[in-house]
Parts: sequence; C-alpha cells; structure tokens
Amino acid sequence: MNNYIWLIRREFWENRAIWLIPAVIGGLMTLSVCWGRVHFGNDFFDLNGTSGLPPEFSQYSLYFLSGIVTVIFLVIMPIYAGWYLLDCLYGDRKDRSILFWKSLPISDTQTVLAKLAVGLVIIPLVYVAIADLTTLAVDFIVSLRIGAWGSSGLWNPAAWLDTQVLWLYTILTLAVWYLPLAGWFIFVSAWATRAVILWSLLPPLALYLGERWALGTHVFGSALLDRLGTGYVRAFHVLGDGSVWRDFTTDGGQNHIHMPASVWTLMDPIGFFTSPATLIGIAIGAGFIVAAIVLRTQRAEI
Amino acid sequence: MSPLIEARDLTKKYGSHVALDRVNFSVESGRIVGLIGPNGAGKTSALRAVLGLTNYSGYLRVLGKEPMRERTPLMRDACFIADVAVLPGWLRVDQAIDFVAGVHPRFRRERAAALLEKTSVRPKSRMRQLSKGMKTQVHLALTMAIDAKLFVLDEPTLGLDLLARRSFYDALVNDYMDETRTILITTHQVEEVENLLTDVMFIDKGRIVLDSSLERIAERYAAVVVGPSELEAARSLRPFHERRMLGKTVLYFEQPDFGRLAAFGEVLTPSVSDLFVAKLSGSAGSSDATPVAAGETTGSAA
Repeated sequence: MNNYIWLIRREFWENRAIWLIPAVIGGLMTLSVCWGRVHFGNDFFDLNGTSGLPPEFSQYSLYFLSGIVTVIFLVIMPIYAGWYLLDCLYGDRKDRSILFWKSLPISDTQTVLAKLAVGLVIIPLVYVAIADLTTLAVDFIVSLRIGAWGSSGLWNPAAWLDTQVLWLYTILTLAVWYLPLAGWFIFVSAWATRAVILWSLLPPLALYLGERWALGTHVFGSALLDRLGTGYVRAFHVLGDGSVWRDFTTDGGQNHIHMPASVWTLMDPIGFFTSPATLIGIAIGAGFIVAAIVLRTQRAEI
Repeated sequence: MSPLIEARDLTKKYGSHVALDRVNFSVESGRIVGLIGPNGAGKTSALRAVLGLTNYSGYLRVLGKEPMRERTPLMRDACFIADVAVLPGWLRVDQAIDFVAGVHPRFRRERAAALLEKTSVRPKSRMRQLSKGMKTQVHLALTMAIDAKLFVLDEPTLGLDLLARRSFYDALVNDYMDETRTILITTHQVEEVENLLTDVMFIDKGRIVLDSSLERIAERYAAVVVGPSELEAARSLRPFHERRMLGKTVLYFEQPDFGRLAAFGEVLTPSVSDLFVAKLSGSAGSSDATPVAAGETTGSAA
C-alpha cells in the first residue's frame, strides 16, 4: 500500500496538469461571475443593481451552476485522462527514466495499477473536487451580488451532499464501465514505440472498417459507440421514470427542474454490476491490463 | 559461499543477432568486477539480464534470485545506475530523495543528504536544470545511500567530461567501497577503471574472452619489450599479440615460460588496457589506434 501512495504522489509531481488544468478553469469561472451577467437556464440576469433572482428560482440555481461547472469540467477531464493513460507507460521509456524507476524495488504490477488508478479514479476525483470548490465559490459570489446571502441562499447543504454522493458513485461506476478503454490505452502505452495516439485509434478503426468490408456488419462499431456513449446512464435507473423523479415547476411553469426524490433511489448498482455489458467490459479491460503488465516487465527504454 | 552472480549458458538473442552466446561467469562477494568490451560486445545485454530488465535463456542467479521473475525483491539488495542521465527532467532533487526513501527499505536519507552536501546541487533543482555531471552526482548519491549487496554500473561516465568522470570515480572509491560491497561495472573506457578493479572480464561478440582476477593476470600474462634484433627469437615463444612502439616491439604472452622470457629483458605485467587491446585486436569494434602486427594475433579465447 505504501508503494502505491508514493507512486500516486509521483504522478502528481510529474503531471502537474492533473490539478493545474481544472484549477485554472475553476479560477477563470470564479473570476467571470465577479463581473457581468450570469446565465441561468434561458434567462440572463444582470446582477448589477437588480432586485436579484426570483425567489423560487434561486433555490435551485445551485443545480444549474453545478451543471454548468461540471459539464465544462467533464468535457476536458476524459480528454486529459485518456492522454494521461496513453502517455503513462510510454513517456518514461522515451526519456529513458524507466531505467531509474526499474532500479527501485517496485513491481511492474504496482506501477501499472497505480497509473491506471490515477487515470480512472484519481483524475476524475481531482476534477470533481475542484468543480465542487468552483461551484461553492461561484454560488457564494453570485449570492453576494444578488444580495441573497444569508437569506434565501443558493447554498443548500442537503443538495450539495446529494451531489457528492452522486459524483462518487458516478466516478466508481464509470471507472468500471470504461475499464476496457482505459485498459486498451494503457496497453498501447506499454506497447507502442512511437505515435501512441495513432496506435490507440488505428486498430479500432481498422477493426470497424474490416468488419464492415468483410462481413457487412457493424457489431464492433456499435459496441464501441455504446461503450463510449452510454456510460452515464448505465449505472442509474432509467431516466424519466415517474416513480423516481419529482418534477419542480418554477417561474410560472416556464422552467421545469427534475429532481430525484432521493439520490439513493436513483442509483442502480446491482443492475449495473450484474449486467453482461459491464462484466464483458471488465474481462476485456483486465485482459489489456495484464498484457500491459507483462509488456512492462519486458520493456526497457525505446 | 555461493557466488553473488552465477551465469551458465546465458544467451540473449535479438532476432537473428546473438548478443550473448552461451556465456558462463560468476561474481564473488566483495569483488569489484569490470565487464569490459567494445561497443556492441554484449556488455549491456549481460547487465540487463543480471538486473531483470530483459529476457534471456540459460541459467542465471543473482543473489540467489532469478532476475526476470524476482526483480522486485532483487532490487532491495541490488541497485544500479544504467547509463547516465536517466533521472527524469521534471523530478526535483528533494522529490527524488523522498521517493526513494519512501519505497526503498534500505535507503538512508541522511547519507544521501550528506553526499549531496559535498556537491553544488540544490535540493529544489529539477533534473532538467542540472548539468549531466551534476545529474550523475545526484544519481550516485541516491544509489550510494542504499545499503545494497550488489551495485551495478553500466557505462556510468558516458558523455561526462574529464572532471566529472574523475569526481565520479573518486566518490565511488572513497565513499562507497569496502569489503562488503560487490560492484559490477561495464565500460569501454578501460583505463578509467583499471585501478579500482579486483577482477576483469573481457567480452567480445557475445562471448567472454577473459575472466580473471588481477592477481591471476600477473601470473598468467606477461609482456616484454624487445629490439629488432631479438624479435624473431622472441616470436618463437609464441606471443599472442605484438605492438610496435618507438622502434621496439612489445610482445604479449599467455602462460609463458617466465624464465625464458626474462632472457629478452624485463618481464612486465600488462596493464588491463593493454591486455584488452591485445586480447581484442583484430576483432570488430576494437581500437584502431593501436597498430597490430598482421598475422601474429591469434585472438583465441582464454
């Protein structure tokens, strides 16, 4: 366990972008609400010298803000995490520092698993933590500017806690769901001697085109699209189920906010972890990860 | 006591190229062994096999362990500097110390700090800011602070200027060597290490052509300097190499009759570098700076 802690610290030393990118985005977003207008849903509110938000609206604006913040973060996070995984076993072979790391009593299994954990779990955790901080800072500033601080308040502790629970659950389930992709990336990173990005894309593309050309089917393509696109809904109960969702109507019926009765009823861990798609994904991912570990034991510098 | 390193029929192939050809050698505890050979002779392949960095065939035990399968436990008792400048550029000196201290049970932090205090390296410097010589000092300090039974160095001074090379070996000799240490060092710059070695192994084209302690070299090899008039008579004693020098000729003999040799003049023990040139002359990759008497070099393996 001790080695894992050091290996993960090491990744933070090497890849300062893990926290620098979200910190810069968060900082810019926080700064941006200090001036100008804030966009809630379909309406612009000029926060300078107005009477503030309609009271029923402000109660839920935390969700809008969280949404905006997290969407921006979650677009960048997978791109960075993917790049991290592709580079993590390639970069130190390229700069020959693998010869230093391998002189220490750390097994290749530990190295590969630590890097995988950083790419799949730690990076999302850092992004969510910084998105949280940004949301709090933005809410605080907006509250001050509309004069709502301490009275109505955008700050809703229960909703904030719900959000944290949801995020932790989402990170955990997405880490499992994307295991085959992360496994493929880390395998390419352990295997390729150049052009890791190209190597990560070409074989799947060739498989897709080859299948279409040879068999006229697109099983692989649709499986890949399914894997890429449905991660966020797999671990939750089907959206729009009336028994789960409560409807809030605000602003005279112009805005509908869907709120779960409880975040716990929203989650479907049993359904997720027993679904064939999840289990097949775990098996494929594990295969790539084992292959990456085996390659790592046999590879030195490029 | 069983040897620290034992290799039998150690073979390493890269495709059809045989880098190590059924090599046998052993290294006893407390020795300082130089593995010496021209570029491409198989030195690095042998070291990589010893360190568990590469696959091989044949029998190999290092500290009683099978390097490829047991690299992690092996690295608790063995340490290595494989080439200079493998410390990654982003790593800070203090981070390097923290990391090794964190993962290596035999690392003594205060010793590393004491060694670094003698240098002009600052703890907050990143490796990319340091000169190659300073980087080597950092690596040496990190490695010498490990209480290891075996220390392996692969071309440790390659690319360093004369001052840095000298200070490297001074540090090694003065701060590290005692009777409990075993050092295996590869180099093609023989003259730099010959004064600190207790044993030498010459390797050429994947084969060991000489494996001897320095004491035994004095018993086994001899050189005499003869003038032109005595040359033919001296040649009848079957030297394995000769070298012209200022109008005279140096003849090198293996297991000679010392009594008969003495008749030609003072019998010298050849230096390691002279012996290296003598043994490997005529083979590819040997120094072309030394004139070799054609037809007289047997080049036969010891």
